Amino acid sequence: MSETLLSMRKITKRFPGVLANDEISFDLFKGEIHALVGENGAGKTTLMKILYGLYSPDSGEIYIKGKRITIKNPKEAINGGIGMVHQHFMLVPPFTVLENIIIGEETKKFGLLDESLPAEKIKALMEKNGLIVDLNSRVEDVPVGLQQRVEILKILYRGAEILVFDEPTAVLTPQEVEDLFKTFRQLISQGKGIVFISHKLDEVLEIADRITVIRKGRVIKTLNRDEATKSLIAELMVGKPVLLEVSRPDVKEGPAVLEVKYLSLQDYRKVNILTDVSFTVHAGEIYGIAGVEGNGQTELVEVIAEAAPILHGDILLNGESITNWDVRQRREAGISHIPEDRHRYGLLLPFSLAENLTLGMHHKEPFVNRFQIINKNKIREHAKAVIEKFDIRTPSELTTALALSGGNQQKVIVARELSTEPKLLLAAQPTRGVDIGATEFIHNQLMIAKKEGRAVLLVSADLDEVMSLSDRIGVMFKGRIIKEFEREKTTKEEIGFYMMGEKEHAGN
Amino acid sequence: MNFGLILFFLVKGLEISAPIAFAALGAVFSERSGVVNIALEGIMIVTSFTIVWASLALNSIWMGLFFAVIAGMLIALIHAVVSVTFKVDQIVSGVAINILAFGLARFLSQKVFGQETQTPTNPHLFPQLLGINSMAFVLIPIAIIAWFVLYRTVFGLRLRTVGENPEAGDTLGLNVLGLRYAGVIISGAMCGFSAATLFPSQWISGMTAGRGYIALAAMIFGRWDPIGAILASLLFGYADTFRIMFETKIPIPSQFVQMFPYILAVVVLAGMVGKARAPAADGKPYEKGED
Amino acid sequence: MPVIKFKFNKYKLLELFAPVAGFIASIIVLLIIVIAVGESPGKSLVAIYKFSLSSSAKVATILSMSIPLFFAGIAVAFAFQSGVFNIGVEGQYYFGGLVGAMAGIYLHLPAFIHIPVVVLFSMLGGALWALIPAILKVTKNVHEVITTIMFNSIALAFVNYLVNGPLSGLGKGKSLEPQTAKIQSTALFGKLNGAFRFLGWNVPDYVYLDYSLIVAIIIGFLVWFVLFRMRYGFEIRAVGTSLDVSKYAGIKVKRVQLAAFILSGALGGLIGLQEIFAIRGYYTYSIASGLGFDGIAIALIGKNSPLGVVFAAVLFAFLKQAGYGLQFYTAVPNSVIYVITGLMILFIVVINEVVAAYIRALRKKEAV
Repeated sequence: MSETLLSMRKITKRFPGVLANDEISFDLFKGEIHALVGENGAGKTTLMKILYGLYSPDSGEIYIKGKRITIKNPKEAINGGIGMVHQHFMLVPPFTVLENIIIGEETKKFGLLDESLPAEKIKALMEKNGLIVDLNSRVEDVPVGLQQRVEILKILYRGAEILVFDEPTAVLTPQEVEDLFKTFRQLISQGKGIVFISHKLDEVLEIADRITVIRKGRVIKTLNRDEATKSLIAELMVGKPVLLEVSRPDVKEGPAVLEVKYLSLQDYRKVNILTDVSFTVHAGEIYGIAGVEGNGQTELVEVIAEAAPILHGDILLNGESITNWDVRQRREAGISHIPEDRHRYGLLLPFSLAENLTLGMHHKEPFVNRFQIINKNKIREHAKAVIEKFDIRTPSELTTALALSGGNQQKVIVARELSTEPKLLLAAQPTRGVDIGATEFIHNQLMIAKKEGRAVLLVSADLDEVMSLSDRIGVMFKGRIIKEFEREKTTKEEIGFYMMGEKEHAGN
Repeated sequence: MNFGLILFFLVKGLEISAPIAFAALGAVFSERSGVVNIALEGIMIVTSFTIVWASLALNSIWMGLFFAVIAGMLIALIHAVVSVTFKVDQIVSGVAINILAFGLARFLSQKVFGQETQTPTNPHLFPQLLGINSMAFVLIPIAIIAWFVLYRTVFGLRLRTVGENPEAGDTLGLNVLGLRYAGVIISGAMCGFSAATLFPSQWISGMTAGRGYIALAAMIFGRWDPIGAILASLLFGYADTFRIMFETKIPIPSQFVQMFPYILAVVVLAGMVGKARAPAADGKPYEKGED
Repeated sequence: MPVIKFKFNKYKLLELFAPVAGFIASIIVLLIIVIAVGESPGKSLVAIYKFSLSSSAKVATILSMSIPLFFAGIAVAFAFQSGVFNIGVEGQYYFGGLVGAMAGIYLHLPAFIHIPVVVLFSMLGGALWALIPAILKVTKNVHEVITTIMFNSIALAFVNYLVNGPLSGLGKGKSLEPQTAKIQSTALFGKLNGAFRFLGWNVPDYVYLDYSLIVAIIIGFLVWFVLFRMRYGFEIRAVGTSLDVSKYAGIKVKRVQLAAFILSGALGGLIGLQEIFAIRGYYTYSIASGLGFDGIAIALIGKNSPLGVVFAAVLFAFLKQAGYGLQFYTAVPNSVIYVITGLMILFIVVINEVVAAYIRALRKKEAV
């Protein structure tokens, strides 16, 4: 048996009201990739934050190469040879790649910052691991895939031997994932160990040597790769058998609801974010947008949901141009929007559930009378009906949104957006950060919307989600829809190629 | 216009710019670390009282400067404790400190000198150079040092990191709160130099006249950069010098002339739109995530 | 259901904790300062009592003083509700008061119209003075804190010019202090002291419980109604809670902030009513200053709610009286009240954060 790099013993961490980690034991051998899987909120990230010194455990022990250590802060974790690539990159966008790598581990020359020595060292690391990045570029100008390389270089620069990757593939194309896995193999061949946190079971099965499943803060089981199957892992994660496929109703497509024509958009630096984007979504159709994040999907949804100064092009709803309408007009015309960043856009947390459930329609009768005076009874009645219909768990409609659990907050947003009976539903990353139960709920709601003849525009970084829900799929790359597919007539691999822009020209 | 007058104008302008420039320089450090310091005005009130008080008590302007710097750091420390450690809205904290500082200087003046709104004159002054307070010239080396510290030292890189992305700093083992304390306290210390160049010969209630706020405007106009902040401060300072030197010759009511620097500040800020970017985490308390 | 009701009250109680604890903590600091300057705390407390609660006349004085403070607090609070930090109330009441006084001096109207008209003109003046910072904020994203502070200084110089120059009424009066002409009798605010005496509260003649009290009550009710019973208020509070969510929900956030900012200025314009129309009968640039800054503290202590602002304004009036009491009977200068005010804000906001963290933890525990 190979040497144990890391051993975490009976780690317990309690947050107010939640037992996030309940006597979790986890270990990592030299030269292995150990996957840590579990639903959102199962305790994976908490465990890794404890390892990295961001949280302190209530009890439990950590051993590195057999030696017991306590990790009170990230500095001590770094000194212990632990490196972490966080799900949200920890980079300083206006700084150069080099600066980003050396922060906290700088070298001095005559008391001043020295960049030449670190540059040498980093170049050697880049060559050894095949992670080439231009050291003098600003990180904000570097594409997402390369930013991840910067993150990896950061931890290698600090001499990490225990490498933790938290959902590293979420922002990558299938081909970039392959590259990342090559890097993984390269790294373990040097005797390092990798903790791979993911919820994409195919990837886990492809790369991991061992798989540890945690649920509700406890380790359920650690499997060797050869004894694991997708359905077994999923069952262990959820605690009951799960249906991985969505049942798709057969719906006859209706007339065009949303038509986007030659839409172009620039940012404040006059850089094109969207270029000549054209597509149509019909009633009863789910149109999926696939693409690596940051290729204009977020802006595309925003420009349809909100008024934004576009460069040129037109947006039509049921044949009428809405390009110059404001948000309120668009909402009144039947556009609903499940926003991507729901923490930021979704709810007024200190307001009651009832108020949140009428948000966006709060200015219309019956919620206000013609003197603009609020009718609290109508707001409550509406809320009670929606809570019942969408099965939102809350003590009362007067409870503040703040007091609901994350999953229920998500439900509130989905319920509100569907309760307006929209003609067009914009769903941006609707299941990001959502556990399997809530994902099922949201997928079902999208299907119901389709069945009811609504048009749905689905944007998701999760290619599996796009593939399983959509009727047609448009692939976005650098602000263009470079290819459109019927779902039945394509494969994940084919879409992956387009996501990288490899067939950019062939596509047009 | 003769040469002597022009030279006097140039030198006098430096002297009048200096209190704003020092405070603006301090503000650069505070804001680059992620803390908006609107308490500059209050800190300047306290330091400009302290320099007179300590000079008179210890018979030395240098001791006065020393204690003014200390006093500035202490008041800044309050801002740091409230807004960095307790994560209170930085503007609320700054406004409260300004109210406190206004009362504190008057309270101390009353208790120490028996007069609430002014102190006796302070005979201990800095040496004169070219006919002005020599401390104004100290601005030049301090500006250069500030630039080097911010862009060419480990401390500067780390300070800017926590102002842009404190979470990243945290994961790299930086002491986010400590660096922000440092940024805020440096801004307090710089207000000690502001006091040294403002009017160290006497303290009069109200004599800072909004210079702390103008320094903030200068810092924004200078795009959060030490050199930019100084140049913007010079703009305000020279505009004010022009006003002082030619007030009597300008055929408009003096009250309008007095409004000039404030109007200038508003115009300058209004013209700045979209041209500069504040540090990404400026004004945002850093909280470690709990999810 | 009763369980939920109980929880709701528990949070409400916790939210009240910060202002109360902050007040107590600052009084303790005050006593420490008193001891530090060599006075006895007992004597100081007696001095405070003598100037605040010792007689119905003193209590009436506090009520009288709290009227302009209430306007200051509600003006700041109204803007705060929409996320706008209006530090310019100071300048807004200087200018608003002047515009109101102009209506009182130069318009010829019967009293029952003239008095509402001067109230409206005061609001108009305050609104005008808030206009430029408000427009700069929503169109060019210039931070209102700096612009309003600059506008305070500009207002001071501007009214100084007007009162000394074009609007000077010195020729007609006897005072040497630069001031406007006298306000016509039809626009002057009468006193309610007689009415209070009729109701059995012995308010002496020298205390100003004038029509501005009625204006304050009406304004307080209107602000409450708009904020909590009308769609506009809902949108103001939504914008103040989250710009992003409001935008997403179709609320025109810029319009809402612009309106709230200007209305805040209008409310600020009312601060001078009592001094100008009831006490002086003319306008001068040396009307009481600093009330705009008191308003910030009052809004924070009152948690931006109209009722909270009423309590905080009375509290502030009490503090001011306490300051005079200390100055009169002890060696503690009146300026200590500014120190205490600043500290009180700091204590309250710090305790607020601590309590908020505690509430978050509690709520998480109870989350479903």
